[in-house]
Amino acid sequence: MTTPSSASTKIGNVPKSRAAGYPIIESRGDRFRDGVRKWWPYYLMLAPGLIYFMVFHYLPVWEAKLAFEDLRIIGPNIWVGLKHFAQLFTSPAFAQVLWNTLIISAMKIAFVFPLPILLALLINEVRNPRFRRSVQSVIYLPHFLSWVVIAGIFIAALSSSDGAVNDLRDAFGLERRSYMTDAGAIRWVLVWSEAWRSAGWDSLLYFAAIMAIDPALYEAAEMDGATRWQKMRHITLPGIVPTIATLFILNVGLFLHAGFDQVFNLTNDAIRDRIDIIDTYVYRLGIGGGQFSLATAAGLFKGVIGMILMIGAHTLSKRLTGKGVW
Amino acid sequence: MARQNRTGLERMEEAIIASVLIALVIVTVQPILNLLAISLSDPANVPGMGGLTIVPDGFSIDIWALLAQHPAVQRGLMNSLLITVVGTALNLVCTALMAWPLSRKKLPFRRTIFILVLITIVFEPGIIPDYFVMRRLGLLDDYAAVILYKLVNAWYLIILIRFFEEVPEELIEAAELDGANPFQVFWKVVLPLAKPALATITLFYVVYHWNDFLRPMIYFNDQDMWPLQVVLRQFVVVGDKAAIVGLQAMNSYEGASQIDFKAFRAGMILFTMLPVLAIYPLILKFFTKGTMSGALK
Repeated sequence: MTTPSSASTKIGNVPKSRAAGYPIIESRGDRFRDGVRKWWPYYLMLAPGLIYFMVFHYLPVWEAKLAFEDLRIIGPNIWVGLKHFAQLFTSPAFAQVLWNTLIISAMKIAFVFPLPILLALLINEVRNPRFRRSVQSVIYLPHFLSWVVIAGIFIAALSSSDGAVNDLRDAFGLERRSYMTDAGAIRWVLVWSEAWRSAGWDSLLYFAAIMAIDPALYEAAEMDGATRWQKMRHITLPGIVPTIATLFILNVGLFLHAGFDQVFNLTNDAIRDRIDIIDTYVYRLGIGGGQFSLATAAGLFKGVIGMILMIGAHTLSKRLTGKGVW
Repeated sequence: MARQNRTGLERMEEAIIASVLIALVIVTVQPILNLLAISLSDPANVPGMGGLTIVPDGFSIDIWALLAQHPAVQRGLMNSLLITVVGTALNLVCTALMAWPLSRKKLPFRRTIFILVLITIVFEPGIIPDYFVMRRLGLLDDYAAVILYKLVNAWYLIILIRFFEEVPEELIEAAELDGANPFQVFWKVVLPLAKPALATITLFYVVYHWNDFLRPMIYFNDQDMWPLQVVLRQFVVVGDKAAIVGLQAMNSYEGASQIDFKAFRAGMILFTMLPVLAIYPLILKFFTKGTMSGALK
C-alpha cells in the first residue's frame, strides 16, 4: 500500500518547498497541502455521491433507533430499550413470518438454484449458434419485467376459470385448481414464478463461465473419443464449479430476503399467513398499520442477521473460491 | 457443426436438447402472447377465451384505444416517464462522477470511502427508517423522493469503478502532461472509453426506475403521482376495479360501461411492459457482452 503523499512526486506536482531549493524533507503539513492541491478536484466530483450515501444510507441507520423507542406525535420519542424486540420475539405472528421466510428461501435454493446451471449446460450443447442465440434472447426477458407485471401474468395464467395451466389440466381430464388461493400451492407458485423470472437470466452467468473454459480441453477429450456426456461431466461441470459455489454462497447470504416484490404482489387474504415474509410483515405493520417502532425492530432484526449472513458468505466464498461477493 | 459422422444416438440427444429448450421458450412467451391475443380480440369474444390461445378471436384495438385515453393510465405513463428520465440522468451523472475518483488508486481515503459504500450493501436498516428520513427531509409527496433514494446504486458504482480502473494509466498521464485537469481527463479521456459500461448501467437504471413500484407507493399519498406500475398493481394485483373504472367517472369516455376486466387487464399488463420490450434489443446487445460478469443480481 502506498502512502497518499507518494502521489505528489508526479510531474507538474513538484512541491514548492523542493523547487525553491529547500531540504527535501517534507513536513506533514506540506504533504497535506500537496495532497489537497492535487486531489481537491476529485473530492469535488465525489461530493454529490458522498452526500447521497450519508443522507440516504447512513441517516436511516440513525433513524433505526426508533426500534428502541416509543413514537410520539408531539415531543421527543421515549427510549424503551428492547421492549419492541421482546414483543416481536414473543409474538406468534413473527414466528410464523420468520418460518415462512426460511422455508420459502430454502425451497427457492433447492428448486430454483439448480435450474440455471442445467439450462447453461443444455444451451452449451446446442451446436447451431443462431438457434442458441434465439433461445437465449427469449429466456432472458422475464428478468427485466417488474414483479407487478409478472404477478399480473401469473394471476392470469393460474386463473381457475380461464388460465393456461387449468385449461391444460382440463385438456388432460384433471380437475381445475385455484392456485392463487390454495394454501398448499401458493409457496410453489412463488418457486415457479421465481424460476420463470430468473432461471434464464441467471444461466447467463454459468454460460459465461463455460465460455471461459479452455477449448483445448474439449479438443483433447474428443481425440480420446469422449462422448458428449463425458465431456459435460468431466470438463464443463468442473469448469463451472467455482461459479456455482460463489453463487450458492451468495444465495445463502441473501437468505432472509426471500423476495419482497414477489410476495407483495402475489399475496392475498386467503393465503397471506402462508407466504408472509419478514419484509412484507414490516411493510404491513409499519406503512400499513402505523406500528412504526415494532416494524423498525423487525426490519432491524432482519438487517443485522442479513449482515452477518452476507459477511459470512463473502468470507467463505473468498476462502473457498477466491471470488467474493464484491 | 455439420459433422458427417454423427451417430443416431447423438442426433437423438440433440433433438431432446432442442425440444427442451423450445419448450422453455414456449413457457416463457406463451403467457405474454395469450395476453396480447386477448387484448387484440373483439371485446365480445374475450370472456370465452381460454388461457392457451395465442390467436385473437376477432380483431379489435378497442382495448388499446381505451387504455390510451384512460386518465389514470395517461397520468401513470407521464409519471413513469418523468421519474425514469430524470432519475436515470441524475443516476448516471452522480454514479460516474463518484466512480472516477474512486478508480484512482492513489486517492487518499479511497479505501475508507469504498468500505463506507460496501457497508450500505451489507446492512440495510429497512424501509421504515428510509421513510422517516424522507419525512424529515420534507420529501414525501415529492417526485424527488423516489429519484433520490437510489441516486447511486452501490453495485453499479462498483461495476463502473472496475471499468474505469481498466483505462490505461498512460492515457491519463499523457492528458495530464498536456495540462488537462482532472475534470478534463474525465470528460475527454475516461468517459469516451467507458461508453459500453455507461450504456449498460444506463439500461440498468432505466429498467430499475421503470419497474419500481414500492417507493412511489410508500412516498406518494397523492394517487395522481403514481407511476404506471402502481396503477397496474392497484388494478391487476389488488383487483381494485373502481380505481380504473368507477372513480374515473364512468360516463367520461365511451364504452366504459362494457369495459371488460379481463381484456383491460391483459392490455394494461402489456402496456406497462412495452418500454422494457422496446429497449430489450439494446439490453441484449450490451448486457450479454460479458461486461457485467461481476455484480449481476
